[in-house]
Amino acid sequence: MTLTPNPTHTRTISRVAAVLTGLMAAVHPAAAQPSFSEGAALFSPVTWERLVNAADEPHNWLMYNGTLDSQRFSRLDQIDADNVRQLKLKWAHHIPQLDRAETTPLVVDGVMFITESPSNVVAVDAVTGRPFWRYDHPLPSDLRLCCGRNNRGVSILGETLYMSTLDAHLVAIDGRSGSLLWSREVADYRSGYSKTAAPLIVKDQVVTGIAGGEYGIRGFLDSYDADTGERLWRTHTIPGPDHPDNRTWAGDSWRTGGSPTWITGSYDPELNLVYWGTGNPGPDWNGDVRQGDNLYADSVLALDGDTGEMSWYFQFTPHDEHDWDAIQVPVLADIELDGETRKAMLWANRNGFYYTLDRETGEFLLGKPFAKQTWAEGLDENGRPIRRPNTSPSQEGTLVAPIAGGGTNWWSPAFSPRTNLMYVNAFDGEALFFSREQEYKEGDNFTGGGTETPLPIEHYHSAIRAIDPTTGDVEWEFPITPRSRSGVLATAGDLVFSASVDGYFYALDARTGAPLWHISLGGPVHAQPMTYAVNGQQYVSMTIGNTLYTFGLDGDE
Amino acid sequence: MSTRLSTRWPAVALLATLTGGAVPAIALAQDADNNPYTSRIDIRTGRRLFRAQCSTCHGLNAAGGNESAGPDLTTGQFRHADSDAGLFRVIRDGVRSTSMLGLGADANDQSIWQLVTYLRSLDVTAGGTPSGSSAAGQQLFTGKGNCARCHMVNGRGQRIGPDLSFVGDRRALADLETDLVDPDAELLPRWWTMRAVGPGGQVVEGLRMDEDTFTFRIMDAEENLRAFSKYSDWTYERIQQSTMPDYAETLTADERNDLVAYLFSLRSEP
Repeated sequence: MTLTPNPTHTRTISRVAAVLTGLMAAVHPAAAQPSFSEGAALFSPVTWERLVNAADEPHNWLMYNGTLDSQRFSRLDQIDADNVRQLKLKWAHHIPQLDRAETTPLVVDGVMFITESPSNVVAVDAVTGRPFWRYDHPLPSDLRLCCGRNNRGVSILGETLYMSTLDAHLVAIDGRSGSLLWSREVADYRSGYSKTAAPLIVKDQVVTGIAGGEYGIRGFLDSYDADTGERLWRTHTIPGPDHPDNRTWAGDSWRTGGSPTWITGSYDPELNLVYWGTGNPGPDWNGDVRQGDNLYADSVLALDGDTGEMSWYFQFTPHDEHDWDAIQVPVLADIELDGETRKAMLWANRNGFYYTLDRETGEFLLGKPFAKQTWAEGLDENGRPIRRPNTSPSQEGTLVAPIAGGGTNWWSPAFSPRTNLMYVNAFDGEALFFSREQEYKEGDNFTGGGTETPLPIEHYHSAIRAIDPTTGDVEWEFPITPRSRSGVLATAGDLVFSASVDGYFYALDARTGAPLWHISLGGPVHAQPMTYAVNGQQYVSMTIGNTLYTFGLDGDE
Repeated sequence: MSTRLSTRWPAVALLATLTGGAVPAIALAQDADNNPYTSRIDIRTGRRLFRAQCSTCHGLNAAGGNESAGPDLTTGQFRHADSDAGLFRVIRDGVRSTSMLGLGADANDQSIWQLVTYLRSLDVTAGGTPSGSSAAGQQLFTGKGNCARCHMVNGRGQRIGPDLSFVGDRRALADLETDLVDPDAELLPRWWTMRAVGPGGQVVEGLRMDEDTFTFRIMDAEENLRAFSKYSDWTYERIQQSTMPDYAETLTADERNDLVAYLFSLRSEP
């Protein structure tokens, strides 16, 4: 493996590990990667410093999107275009639930943490997949869920895992034993709140969002003290009446305006800004009852990393009536634009447009469609959509692209600093959007309409697309039949891994999109691939159906 | 294709029933086993509701989801309900420990009953009885219509069109009439044609039995099963048209009525 470790950082890791636990076995001075002899002690505390520098220890996958910039890019390059065809199944882990498996596992020094439906987590040996422990979270029977009993992953700080639960709690679990350390009610699930996303660690805080955009909730982003579970701040994604932006909601519609935060955000340590996407305004398909732009629904928020105070926002879809949540992972990358290096944020949105933003200021730099869309003429100079007439949902149904599920959705994209391309799962669909009147009742579904796809799925087009963030142009695409609901991983082996609902797991050439390897694993996919290494062996893991599969090249196991 | 299919489907019927009106108490409604909303208009409204609320998992025509494995609801047999009231409860409350979520308060009682009505309507006898002669239709099927050249009924006939042994379970009268004169109208992707061309120019065509990201499988005109990779030295294309002739000219209206009567009689439980 040709890692390019930072020697200083390697020493730092060694020192931290040694000082804090003495558990890290046989750290090789020439590599950032520990090796574990038979029976050696695995797992070491994950400090904030390690999370900041997670890219430097690519043998671990320390957070939901790999690194704080959420590039989902791994420096591991043992598996590459020349040998990817030799990938072999190493082990599989069966998830004993029928619900969609949407997990991205973490790997910390030889131990993998896999979340399972509904709100469970299991720790396994990352080399064999065999369990150390499991934590099954007890849940009430009257949950309010729009979209199934899902969980997407845990976060880790020190030796503690943090997980969202469907009953809208944040739980802290001991990483060595699976013991529950504390459980904190984030919101009342009976009012329509739930939690599905992995939290984001920011220094000594657990930053975590909320779901419930189909239940008339009022969204927010919270921060909790990682030790005690005490809430440190809450930033509402719909401002209260004391704020001028509250006037972007007619009457009292802000109280039930949704704008949830159900996917994991990103963090820039230099700017001390937390970035988080917000979901649809509610009711989803009846905008008449919430006239105005509906800030800050369908936006990305940049919040102070200590206080949660808003630095800036950018709203992708003002007054959304099509359920186009800006629930995408904010991808942070520094790119060359007009001869300048810009601290950028790359965003392929559910509304069908791709955006490059300045992540210091929120300034719109460029944007254009990356998937079929029929609702806007384009974006104006500030990135605001120029709407076409007669695209609102109606009693009789209005045909619009993209579908409610979007040109893309919550599936994590990836960005490779080697190719300077962003890889996105895209869908060119269309749907009839229906609007109807609906009264809000606490805890009940509050959508104000529905959608219908007029043709069988085979009539539409789906692809992994590679977008150049300096132009917004699609450089290549890899077609998928019928479609994908999976995230993407990019590696220093210049590979792009993804999967599709037809049950394939595959690797593409990151520069051309050419398929290099695939295997049919037989189940629909709703999860994201990740990669890690133990003892010099690189692995790639992906959950397909209800089984997590781990692949690697031949080697010492 | 898109426009054509969309416009064939029924215009919005009585959406007003969804948008307001008194909402009767749910407990009362489900305890009454009699579905009060069973008109043709309720079927159409129920179908529209189904497509908006249920088709993501159960498929556009309730025949099962191709992505999410929601069960086929067109068989007349329901795993978790054996009565209208049972169906009502499943639709409203969902099925515990499965992906089946209830609509809960997202739909009022009337809407839920209309969904029940729609599902019951998939037992297509609800759409009226045929005027033609089934016996004469059977003659046409094997004779002048030459239907058995492609279709199989009870193990007799060929395999390059849908097996029609139980077509009466699946298609209402109006659907069968349309099928004869406009075979492309509701053509399922299963009956598209895939055309593959080999490196030497050899052409193989067949009905699209299945297709995914990397491969497809066909049955050719000689009923051979063939499998292809999309990434080989062969090229391929999809032909999204029916291979069935239309019978608007070749059969008279009376003959078509007879044929429809025969097809309508083909069911699992006569």
